[in-house]
Amino acid sequence: MVLLGSLLQRLAALQGYCGQMPRYYGAQIRGGATAIRLSFDIERPSLPHDIPDILVCFDFSQYHEIEDELGLGAKSAVLYDGLVPSHFLLPDTSLPVNFDEISQSITGSPRNKNIVALGTLARMLPLSMDDARAAIDEDGELRVVQRNLPAFLAGVELVDGLSLPVLELSPAADQRPRVLLHGNSAVAEGAVRAGCRAFFGYPITPASEIMQAMEEALGPLGGVYLQAEDEIASAGMVLGASLTGMRALTATSGPGLDLMTEMLGLASAAEIPMVIVDVQRGGPSTGIPSKSEQSDLGHAVCGGHGDAPRAVLAAWDIESCCRLASESVNIAEEFQTPVILLSDQWLGQTVIAVHEDMLKAGPALRQRKRPLGDHQGPYQRYAWSDDGISPMANVGDKGFTYQTSGLTHDEEGRPAFDFQAHQRCHEKRHRKLETLKDRHDLVKVMGAEDSRAGIIAWGSTAQVVIEVMYDLDLQKQVKICLPELLCPLPNKVQEFMDNLDTLLVVELDFSGQFHAYLRSCLELPARTRIYARAGGRPFSRTELAGVLTEFADAG
Amino acid sequence: MQGNSKFTTDLKPVWCRGCGNFGLYAALTRNVFPSLGLEKDKIFVVSGIGCASRIPGYMDTYGLNGLHGRSLAIAQGAKLARPELTVLAVGGDGDFFSIGAGHLPHAVRRNFDITCIMVNNFVYALTKGQTSPTTPSAPPGDSTFLPSRSYPPVNPLLDMLSYSVSTEASFIAQSLSTDIPHLSRILTEAIAHPGFSLVGVLSPCVTFNPPHLFASIKDNASYLVEGEPVKLPETTGRNSWLHDPGDMAHAMALARIPITEMPFLGVLYRGAGPQ
Ligand SMILES: Cc1ncc(C[n+]2csc(CCOP(=O)(O)OP(=O)(O)O)c2C)c(N)n1
Ligand code: SF4
Repeated sequence: MVLLGSLLQRLAALQGYCGQMPRYYGAQIRGGATAIRLSFDIERPSLPHDIPDILVCFDFSQYHEIEDELGLGAKSAVLYDGLVPSHFLLPDTSLPVNFDEISQSITGSPRNKNIVALGTLARMLPLSMDDARAAIDEDGELRVVQRNLPAFLAGVELVDGLSLPVLELSPAADQRPRVLLHGNSAVAEGAVRAGCRAFFGYPITPASEIMQAMEEALGPLGGVYLQAEDEIASAGMVLGASLTGMRALTATSGPGLDLMTEMLGLASAAEIPMVIVDVQRGGPSTGIPSKSEQSDLGHAVCGGHGDAPRAVLAAWDIESCCRLASESVNIAEEFQTPVILLSDQWLGQTVIAVHEDMLKAGPALRQRKRPLGDHQGPYQRYAWSDDGISPMANVGDKGFTYQTSGLTHDEEGRPAFDFQAHQRCHEKRHRKLETLKDRHDLVKVMGAEDSRAGIIAWGSTAQVVIEVMYDLDLQKQVKICLPELLCPLPNKVQEFMDNLDTLLVVELDFSGQFHAYLRSCLELPARTRIYARAGGRPFSRTELAGVLTEFADAG
Repeated sequence: MQGNSKFTTDLKPVWCRGCGNFGLYAALTRNVFPSLGLEKDKIFVVSGIGCASRIPGYMDTYGLNGLHGRSLAIAQGAKLARPELTVLAVGGDGDFFSIGAGHLPHAVRRNFDITCIMVNNFVYALTKGQTSPTTPSAPPGDSTFLPSRSYPPVNPLLDMLSYSVSTEASFIAQSLSTDIPHLSRILTEAIAHPGFSLVGVLSPCVTFNPPHLFASIKDNASYLVEGEPVKLPETTGRNSWLHDPGDMAHAMALARIPITEMPFLGVLYRGAGPQ
């Protein structure tokens, strides 16, 4: 199914269509039910709608395993193979199609059913057949279609043969080919672009693709890449590389973030730049590894013992995966601090067709503050300064030897055991992040500027909230705040709250961590509602349409 | 003990008087670094947490007294990022054989040019005398070794040397912190070795070891000299052989002999660096 989706998305992307392809899969290692959804948009990669125009199912007996996440409408055209359970009522527009058999008769193997279905779908959408044929001949990624062209053409012919419906699809607004990537590769792209040249990681769903993308990217760049023995080691290696001046990254999901927490504390205490990407999945513990949730927020902003400040950013769409990865590397370097970039399974693994310009405008490279070598006496690694940021020498630099630790220390880095030094260390580490609160560019506000009804959401949830606001035409009635920097929370979020009578907080975690966090940082309107539920199933447009309508109506 | 070597800082070590860690400190700063002609800004010493792990603070090199058991992770990241550095990972038996034990075989396997100095004082010293995986336990009444604090007792102890040999690290040696000339020679060779080196440093904890423990270690020690016959305990009933550090089978045979019976000092095994 994933292959069919990828090929169809690619064919469409080469004709300029944008779109998203989220993946749905269960606990199986291989086999078992998997599904994808695919949206086609003539100008932007919009979220797929809840009710598909077309559903292709290769084995209907497995449909129930992921039915919950897919949805079917009375007008959906369903092409299915396999047994339909007796209690199941298919829409009238359904038709059994034996893709296996067609593939077998044409190519001698049932394995090319994907190619047959590709032809059928390409015709039903409909894509331009001339362009599709040309692309199949030219595009390397479509070589498998070229090799099985008769299967593809048989699929195309099924549409007329079976009188299948043909949809209406306008040509893309801009017909230049789109690039295809998922959030995990966008994160890797952003990190590399910001000068990250070292990656250490340990495989985990749904973050492993970042590791893979970094491996591919860093080899040709002469960077450093290593699969460590666990997440403690990955995070430790990041610190080791970072101390020598290299921009280093690791990526994981909740269980790995737990293990990285002691290194995060050391990075905070000893002021060592480090970036951890957490591609969230359902928790606690092993939870639901293959599905999204926003339940690592609490850990990200204050996980670990001993008051260890860090910066936390959250990506919410494909563009921000890339841009905020660059931003995270920059913030880590400039502020000599650990940074956690939160993503999630949905963002990480949904393949998006987008225009490459969208990924081009990254922030300029920010540098670590470096010592000038004009010091009298020993080099002071933690020299006191107004902004809390001290010049940091790289391990190996001539003339700047210093000794540091996770212990409370003096300006030289030497262990200190008195209250004054301890208080100062805390002050310094917290103070240096203060200026981040002025990063207004890292808070997006959209909708009706003067409205006194506001919605706040972060991460992939925000994407659905925004889509639904436009679906319902509520953009003149409510406004939305979408913080990309979650910690420290920019002042702009308080300003947003100051002009509200009512607030709606939407989040995909059971206990309402985001609301609790906002309350701990801000004054919220007296009339604040929370819509929070467990992850495992992403928010659908229909679900949030109900929530937003009710909120807007209540005024 | 501090001397005026250019490799020391003016920070006064917190170690107890008579602590074996002073020996390691003297060996590194007075002998090893100078004799290798190293520049202090090209040395990075990463340690864990414990008494032994305090050492980076006292040496004027780049240094990090990091997290309990994690020195190797940080050391490997640094070495990969900046290969021209001389990287040392230092810690106690708790660091390398308990909390951080999972990191060790992987560091060996990668065979990066890092020298791992495991200071074995047979006890968790910094936390005031708890048993470590290397603590030789003994029945009540035996005053040489620490009484077992596990019920039922946990035995046998994790022998540093035999573990190191089982990993087939590319350089394996053991020395005493109280024999500074020997320790210096061993460490110099370990650092010069182009791959991963494991050096066990048997070291007295004057505060938490039973008084006879270290004396018995010294008394029973057998110094290995290349090309000369190996002194074996009588109980082995084997004929001796000429010591050849290139022979892994011999290293394994030595590693089978419990440290409580006869600690071997010298280079046990010297193999190839990274290919
Ligand atoms: C995660 C963690 N757990 C426990 C400790 C407490 N602790 C500090 S040192 C130490 C053991 C020290 O023993 P060893 O590593 O043998 O070093 P030594 O002090 O004997 O040189 C322990 C348990 C710690 N610092 N961090
Ligand atoms: S407690 Fe033992 S190991 Fe620690 S400093 Fe004192 S003698 Fe040395």
